[in-house]
Amino acid sequence: MASTTPAPSESAKPFDIVATYNELLRSDPDLTMPIAAIEALVLLLTHSPSSTISETLDLLEKSTAHLKKSIPNPIGLSAGTDLFQRYLITTLQRPGQLGPAGDFNAIRAHLLSNGRLFIRRAKESRDKIAAFGRGFVRDGSTVLTNGGSRVVASLLQKAADDKGGPSAVRFRVIYVLSPAKDSSAEPEGMETVRALRAKGVPVATIPESAVAYSLGKADIVIVGAEGVVENGGIVSRMGTYQIGLLAKAMGKPFYAVAESHKFVRLYPLGQYDLPIEQRVIDFNTEEDITDGHKPQSVAHSSDVVDFTPPHLISALITDSGVLTPSAVSEELIKIWF
Amino acid sequence: MPSTSMALTPGLASFLRSLKTNPIDTSIDNLISLLKRRQIRHSRSCATATAYLLLRVISACRTSDAAKLIERVQSVGRRLVAAQPKEMVVGNIVRRVLGLIRDEAEDDREADFNLSEASESQPQTPRALDGSDRGSSRPPLSQPAPISMFSLLSHPEPETSLPGTPASASPSGRLLGHVQSKDVRAEVLEGVNEIIDELGQVDDQIAAYALDHIHSNEIILTHTSSTTVQKFLLKAAAKRKFTVIHAESYPNNHEATHATVSGNSTGDEEILSTESFQKPLIALGITVILIPDSAVFALMSRVNKVILGTHSVLANGGLVASAGTRVIARAAKVHQTPVVVVSGVYKLSPVYPFDFDSLIEYGDSSNVIGYEDGDLVDQIDVQNPLYDYVPAELIDLYITNLGGHAPSYLYRIVSDHYRKEDISF
Repeated sequence: MASTTPAPSESAKPFDIVATYNELLRSDPDLTMPIAAIEALVLLLTHSPSSTISETLDLLEKSTAHLKKSIPNPIGLSAGTDLFQRYLITTLQRPGQLGPAGDFNAIRAHLLSNGRLFIRRAKESRDKIAAFGRGFVRDGSTVLTNGGSRVVASLLQKAADDKGGPSAVRFRVIYVLSPAKDSSAEPEGMETVRALRAKGVPVATIPESAVAYSLGKADIVIVGAEGVVENGGIVSRMGTYQIGLLAKAMGKPFYAVAESHKFVRLYPLGQYDLPIEQRVIDFNTEEDITDGHKPQSVAHSSDVVDFTPPHLISALITDSGVLTPSAVSEELIKIWF
Repeated sequence: MPSTSMALTPGLASFLRSLKTNPIDTSIDNLISLLKRRQIRHSRSCATATAYLLLRVISACRTSDAAKLIERVQSVGRRLVAAQPKEMVVGNIVRRVLGLIRDEAEDDREADFNLSEASESQPQTPRALDGSDRGSSRPPLSQPAPISMFSLLSHPEPETSLPGTPASASPSGRLLGHVQSKDVRAEVLEGVNEIIDELGQVDDQIAAYALDHIHSNEIILTHTSSTTVQKFLLKAAAKRKFTVIHAESYPNNHEATHATVSGNSTGDEEILSTESFQKPLIALGITVILIPDSAVFALMSRVNKVILGTHSVLANGGLVASAGTRVIARAAKVHQTPVVVVSGVYKLSPVYPFDFDSLIEYGDSSNVIGYEDGDLVDQIDVQNPLYDYVPAELIDLYITNLGGHAPSYLYRIVSDHYRKEDISF
């Protein structure tokens, strides 16, 4: 499905990476941003008949820069593009059939033919995380979570499945729902809530303002992440940071769940150090009655992110195991140097 | 003398003696029952017993096939761990041995591959290539990680795509089967002997760092009769004068602690069999103050450094140590006193503590309240936890036989010592 989507755009005009990326994300709700970015780059390679290594790398670099510029929040996707680029370079440098001595077309063919495989692996890594993370959801425990993270959803569902049927389910979920983009649509995460309830897991939904109040009833906090940065902190939807602070204050373990392809080479020093512009704090001297206090310049309230520093995170549950936040930098260093 | 005491109290010494004569299966059952009955209990005794048993198992396993060897060690290991899951060092030693076998088998396969590079059969090529490349480009310690991030994109062979998962045990086993090498077993036996040597030397190696951490006129607080801590302090005492405040760790370890402080070792402790000849700190002119556990907080403001022994260390930097440790660590945190934990690397477990409660072992409640208080025993519920879980944020420094590490760095040592595929064997 994913590999066939750009077909219509291809005939009309030269390959548009931004459109492809958006199309990929739209067509498959299960796709994460880094994977969509990798997919888009693979499709780009399909459409461009480059035959030398430097030509390819140059093309990738330019398209990546273009893509990053056109997307309001490129943190997630830059993890994917960086990973793809490093993989390509590492593979090309390595001796062997895919290396410099070998056929450049071989690696090209490998990449192109495996677009599907990447997506499948990305989804598999979610299962792997669920398998690791299952251990955190104990019998009789209450889990507080937020947002619409698919990894968290699969982890919780796996845990629910594990206990074997509705009668034996022994954990409860407090789901923090943030208001939807427009009041008519249901808030993100409702789908997971419904799925969990269908499995017999008691789920309570609370607004973001009730987190501090409800945290006393929770045993652990599990959140998803859009990107995991170099110092082990996470970039995640707005509101995660405050949950992290509250969990720390209350001494509750705070776990972040993310696939390792979301590790991104960024070192933010604070909230306002992220390489994206989000006008959340919008000072005004005049009261604007029509807009209320909603920051209209922000595209959607669910698109804004905040940064949760590593000292608030007890552990990162990734497909390469349960990592301490300081282990992230090492994983990143290994692919870059 | 030894024969009578041995017959009365089965333990590490009697087990090691019987190991030479008994058949393997009897020895395995013997160790399992010793572990279950807690007749072997201290971390190092358990580790030593496990290492010796595995040494025997491997030497008796007459095969040159690494896969079979791994299978055999795994099955024995599983039974031992099931016998006493809270004694994590048993699992650690089994994992170390499994890692040894895998390393040897891989070295062998690589050598094999390099010799017959040209004529290698197709299905084996990608993995072997992968392996040799990894070996040459960087030290073998760091090999799993690049793959873990690239696993998404790497070549679609199942062998290359999942090198780090438990599932890969069987494919790699199949590949290992290719190698018909005689000295895998000999090399592994040598490696196990090295582990045993390490277990014997670990306290001395740790003690070698003592002078870096204990300075003149410092006041050190410690807890329990841990030999690692005692050796550490003794080493420093040879050069420097300092004061030791020793919490007695009532009710489970106070007798041993008293004996350690006074130097009148009763000798019934199996771990003290050699160390009992050791001079106590007071003999070296160190002022040792024995205090009840309840006085820890009151005295903490005067203490310069807390040095603790441990039962096992977990991958997240937390640790499981004798009950009372957490109180001390917490008190030290309140007073901003550095907490140093001395522990051999063999105590470092790759297990992530999902459920802290399950790590705590409960002991004989008659230590808390004797049966002579019959009336009370009827009416109240007495619990005697033997261990405490101490979270990583309460610890400032770990000193292992490899040196000093921050708690957040322990994951690295874990990944250096255990293979990913062995974490849940």
